[in-house]
Amino acid sequence: MIKDDFFKTLASPWLWGIVLLGAMLPMVLSSYYTHILTIALVYVALASAWNIVGGMSGQISLAHSLFIGTGAMLSAALLVKLGINMWAGLVIAAATAGLLGAIIAWIDFRFQLGHLSFVLITLAFAEMASIVVEGWDFLGGASGLLLPQDTGNFLDFQFGGGRGAFWVMLGLATIIVLVNVAILNSPLGYYLRTIRDNEKAAQAIGVNVLRQKTTAMVISAVLTSIVGTAYVRYLTFADPYLLASPVITIEIVLFATVGGLGRAYGPALGALLLVPLGEVLRGKLGGAVPGLHYFIYGIVVIVVILATPSGLLPLFERLFWRRSRMLPKI
Amino acid sequence: MSITRRTFGIGTTSLVLGTVAAPWVRRASAEAAAIKIGVINSMSGGLSAYAQEGQPALEYMIKKINDGGGIKSKGGAKIQLIQADDTSQPARTATEARRLITEEKVQLLTGTILSAQMLALTPVLDELKVPTLSIWAGGAHSNYMFSLGYPYDRGYAQTMHDFIVSLRDNKFPIKTAVMSYSNYEAGQQVNSFLVPKLKASGIEIIGEAPLDTRAQDQTSAMIRIRSLKPDIVTGLVTPRDGILLHQARFNLNYHGSIFVGGTGGYSDLSLWKDLGPEVGKAVLTRNLFAMTGFSAGAKIDSMQKVVTELRDVAKLDRIGQGAIQYAQAARVLQRVLEASSSLESDALLDAFKKFDMPFGDPDLYVAKPKGLQFADDRLLKDGSAMMVQWLPDQGQEVVFPKEFAQAAPRART
Repeated sequence: MIKDDFFKTLASPWLWGIVLLGAMLPMVLSSYYTHILTIALVYVALASAWNIVGGMSGQISLAHSLFIGTGAMLSAALLVKLGINMWAGLVIAAATAGLLGAIIAWIDFRFQLGHLSFVLITLAFAEMASIVVEGWDFLGGASGLLLPQDTGNFLDFQFGGGRGAFWVMLGLATIIVLVNVAILNSPLGYYLRTIRDNEKAAQAIGVNVLRQKTTAMVISAVLTSIVGTAYVRYLTFADPYLLASPVITIEIVLFATVGGLGRAYGPALGALLLVPLGEVLRGKLGGAVPGLHYFIYGIVVIVVILATPSGLLPLFERLFWRRSRMLPKI
Repeated sequence: MSITRRTFGIGTTSLVLGTVAAPWVRRASAEAAAIKIGVINSMSGGLSAYAQEGQPALEYMIKKINDGGGIKSKGGAKIQLIQADDTSQPARTATEARRLITEEKVQLLTGTILSAQMLALTPVLDELKVPTLSIWAGGAHSNYMFSLGYPYDRGYAQTMHDFIVSLRDNKFPIKTAVMSYSNYEAGQQVNSFLVPKLKASGIEIIGEAPLDTRAQDQTSAMIRIRSLKPDIVTGLVTPRDGILLHQARFNLNYHGSIFVGGTGGYSDLSLWKDLGPEVGKAVLTRNLFAMTGFSAGAKIDSMQKVVTELRDVAKLDRIGQGAIQYAQAARVLQRVLEASSSLESDALLDAFKKFDMPFGDPDLYVAKPKGLQFADDRLLKDGSAMMVQWLPDQGQEVVFPKEFAQAAPRART
């Protein structure tokens, strides 16, 4: 049973007010800033989906590029190479990602992997996926795939680029953050946190570790894959070096960690702050002094992590919400 | 470290204000009636070598054009370059293009823009309709994209094929080939065009030895080549893979095949530095021919002059293919702007389509026997390049095509 806190969040005028306000931004922002916010929302969605595994159950998965790649490259290949509608591609890719997630969770349980071993195994999966994508013509190989132009035909999974893509990403990000809130307020969330804090103790008190871990991984993988499909539709170019590279997972982990690992809104906060910061810094400084934006970005990240190791969300709560009102008490 | 609401406020306000103020600080020194050209380069990241060599040449040539009176048909308007760094990531090329077009209001775009970046840029250019000159892309999908790069088919693949056939005609015994190429986007593309061409010319492909671009050693690829012992080993190879391949060849002391490849992995001047003179002399000067768009010894007056100018006047310390390609881009942009009836997108597009720089033109720096024009696919009509052989003194001799050739190809120089 999901606790009342979730339904209170769902009925919160704050939440829907922020979403509504966000939805109006493309009306006043230029195409460039709308694009930056769209990318930020992509990462909000990805970091929040990763949080279900990495934050709540404490499994630092680096395999999420595998799920993003599945969602992006497989659905793109099905469309470009076989002419399969991208809605169907989304479902096929999400099912495939879910299956891969279940396999990874089973391997983790079957071989009783420790934290470090789990990280390395998932990294190996991600690297293998990257090599497969770059070497398999059907998925576009190293050249990637160029999708047909987005003319806004909804039935063909097209949203008209720009504003349409922004709204889709806003919707996806909102849903995935709400899934986080729901899980944190459900038995699954409690099981996952118990497993994260002490797996053996969780097992001893009757938590079905395999089932809970698998459930978390499958939910996370499916959501990640769906975001991957929407992202590649927005980009139009399915770039294997972006969408199937383990580097994207590192970015997701960074955003989630800086925002607040294991919190419902933490990864979203991290992505909403760091993605625009990185993009704007590069835009303003990248051309003048190459690499300077990386330096400043790195300094900001280091300062944030040193100043508030548990993430920005707890800091914001301390600074601005003396009594946490809209955030779930988790 | 303890953060209060006050210190947090001061810190974030400074960061935001600094970021927002930066463009105004920069704009204060910009000229009034300039023609804005956005330059998207990979100034950082894995592909930064292209721009780091080429960008100083581009800046020098644009300064020269501005000092010479700017764009005369536009009232002497000066060209203002607005730089952007895509950090070698195609998705960011698209982001930067959007910023340059919508925020900086550039009239044209140019920059390294390799093929993956070109693909990522395509939807942005189709949407915002700004003519773009890529310096290196091997394809052009958007109607607004033109490229000075070698087309995969009639550029890289055709040149290597034609040279291999010419070797065979020159009594080199060539019947079999192994395709050994850097296993990345451009390497795969060129390979897909080269294989059918070689087969059509009666050369049997007896195997492939693709080079893993992440590998730290290419000995396994070289062992495979040695086991197949083809007459020719050919493909597009990056500088890094080339260094590893040549090292492996040296270590295995393999000289049983002729290596014909392009571009950086066979022709880059830095190969000697990375391999060292002993290894370089043993493998580069023996049974090896390299495809390149630039060679200091090529019999092209305008190329020789620009090399001298970049070295003696601009004081550039690294003048290779990258520098020449960027210098050429500056001249193409100048001619397009001069010929264009206005700075509107359609007029600029029309000027690109009608662009013609014949062979012998003093501003033609690259080796194009048929001059520089864009075909209907917006790539160069004459996509051909030169083939060179290395000399023991680390110099090069052009051996193909015959228009620019300094010497006949030899198995050992």
